[in-house]
Amino acid sequence: MSHSKAATIFNKDEKKVNWHDKALWFVRHKRDKSVHSVEGWENLRNLGQGIKAHMLSNLDNYLIQFEEKALKNGVQVHWAKDGDEHNKIVHSILKEHNAKKVVKSKSMLTEECHLNPFLEADGIEVIDTDLGERIVQLAKEPPSHIVLPAIHKTKEEVDELFQEHLGTKPCGGDPQYLTGEARKHLREKFVNADAAITGVNFAIADTGGFVVCTNEGNADMGAHLAPVHIACMGIEKIIPKQEHLGVFLRLLGRSATGQHITTYSSHFRKPREGAKMHIVIVDNGRTEQLSRPDFRASLQCIRCGACMNTCPIYRRSGGHSYDATIPGPIGSILSPGKDLKKHSSLPFASTLCGSCSDVCPVKIDIHAQLYKWRQIITKEMKQPFVKKVSMEMMGKMFAKPSQFEKVGMVARWSLRNLPKSVINSKPNVWGRERDLPKGPKESFDEWYKNRKKNE
Amino acid sequence: MSSRADILARVKTNKPKLLNIPNIALDVFEDGRDLLKEFTVKVETAGGQVFETQSKDLVVGEVQKLFPEAKVNFSTLENTEDFNTINLEAIKTPHDLEDLDVLIVESNVGVAENGAIWLNDALLPMRILPFITKHLVVILKKDDLVTFMHQAYQKLNGEDTGFGVFLSGPSKTADIEQSLVIGAHGALSLSVFLV
Repeated sequence: MSHSKAATIFNKDEKKVNWHDKALWFVRHKRDKSVHSVEGWENLRNLGQGIKAHMLSNLDNYLIQFEEKALKNGVQVHWAKDGDEHNKIVHSILKEHNAKKVVKSKSMLTEECHLNPFLEADGIEVIDTDLGERIVQLAKEPPSHIVLPAIHKTKEEVDELFQEHLGTKPCGGDPQYLTGEARKHLREKFVNADAAITGVNFAIADTGGFVVCTNEGNADMGAHLAPVHIACMGIEKIIPKQEHLGVFLRLLGRSATGQHITTYSSHFRKPREGAKMHIVIVDNGRTEQLSRPDFRASLQCIRCGACMNTCPIYRRSGGHSYDATIPGPIGSILSPGKDLKKHSSLPFASTLCGSCSDVCPVKIDIHAQLYKWRQIITKEMKQPFVKKVSMEMMGKMFAKPSQFEKVGMVARWSLRNLPKSVINSKPNVWGRERDLPKGPKESFDEWYKNRKKNE
Repeated sequence: MSSRADILARVKTNKPKLLNIPNIALDVFEDGRDLLKEFTVKVETAGGQVFETQSKDLVVGEVQKLFPEAKVNFSTLENTEDFNTINLEAIKTPHDLEDLDVLIVESNVGVAENGAIWLNDALLPMRILPFITKHLVVILKKDDLVTFMHQAYQKLNGEDTGFGVFLSGPSKTADIEQSLVIGAHGALSLSVFLV
């Protein structure tokens, strides 16, 4: 289904769309407040961008260095070309330790590889322990946002879900009570887990360590209790030195939720005594994205979600309408690189307003890349007849000023004089669900010339 | 070809020309804020509380006043046998710490810009302790406060620790309709004592 079709379905419930829009704008607002309190924020963004761009230009050497240090630290390192190999590696580690119960903290990579269904098919229980992820797991849905996985669910919906699955009492959606019940439910899972899986926010080449950021403490509750810890990372998570964390940890929390830093920024380097630690390094299309000069900067992403919170399209269409692991603006430049056909409508799910690029903590030119994907898609994919013809007509019209003026005059007159029933009639898609402005008497060109005359 | 060799070869072929690594110059971030005031505000913003005390020895007494109901306590401070109700030597698995009410530990770095406090393997007898406890108390010397994360990492440079965490406030979540709830999976409260 195209993004616009899926968005149409989401937009049927107007009240919920408005609520969704507001909830995300609230997060964007918190980001602004916290960012504006930091002296030199733009310098910080430049550093984040520069370090990541440098990393990509020397990534093979940093990966080798990272592996060497990690092995010295007593950590086992595995490499996976694609999602399938990643899943098989994780499965074999779990088998080796006879692990039947697994707790997992947030990892978009394991979502991307569809790890859960793969493990569940062999009777392994996988519990997502981030509250938002547990909510969508119980609802049998994918996350709709990378930082706020259940942002599309109202508290009343969570209340019903918990009553059904956790046997909680009806509470009218009281977040305090529901979170408390989830804490009890998941505490039992943590204590009995045979293995813990976490994602990786940053992997440090010069120490072989990696950092995992959470607010709930779920990554730590899993990793420090279970006898086995498996950390899964994409190749682009590498940063050269530990001191670079000073830049990225200042950027990440503020850009994501407006917090000055996440509650827990956990630095793992060696397994604890008696326990095992594994790292799985995954490609799954990343080296291909690295080969595209126009799109490789998308690999700088630190997954803060700021581009989603600010995007007027994302806020009004919901994360699920993108039908991709990473939704929103950044997802719309990553996903076409993986499957152009399936995701060909995503680069068009944008007004190209550029707000995503403005808030991006590592200065990815997201809106410019969306535009570039459009060029490729329009050339390589068959476009709908109406769109093709109307684009050609528009092209001709814009190329001739005299024709453009005439069409403009007719349009302005029509907007002033035609009845609403005609203006908002079906063929005019611009009039769908919105009132059009009253047509002005003169065009900008006429206004400008008159002004010159009167000077 | 092994996946490792394959991935490394593809990166080598596909990467752009080597770009320079930027230098981190700290003077552009200087905002002249008061270290102590800023740290206190940021810990409170993150949901924790800050107390100033004359001496480390007074902390246990203060903590007992803060948490009069606490039954299971542990502290890494010296001479606190009376306060400690558990013996870590006797704990066989980390799971036996499930009922821990109050934990007192020391930190050696605090960051003013975000209220983050550093804990590592050298300061923690067991990694799970600051996460599994209901209430976490951290003692920090005022001299160990730094302005930004950059200086914190300068201090940590060369530290060879198996695990360390920057911790800011008690555990929290806003996953249900963006309503902030303190106490997700980790500690329900954080108290910082500045000496």
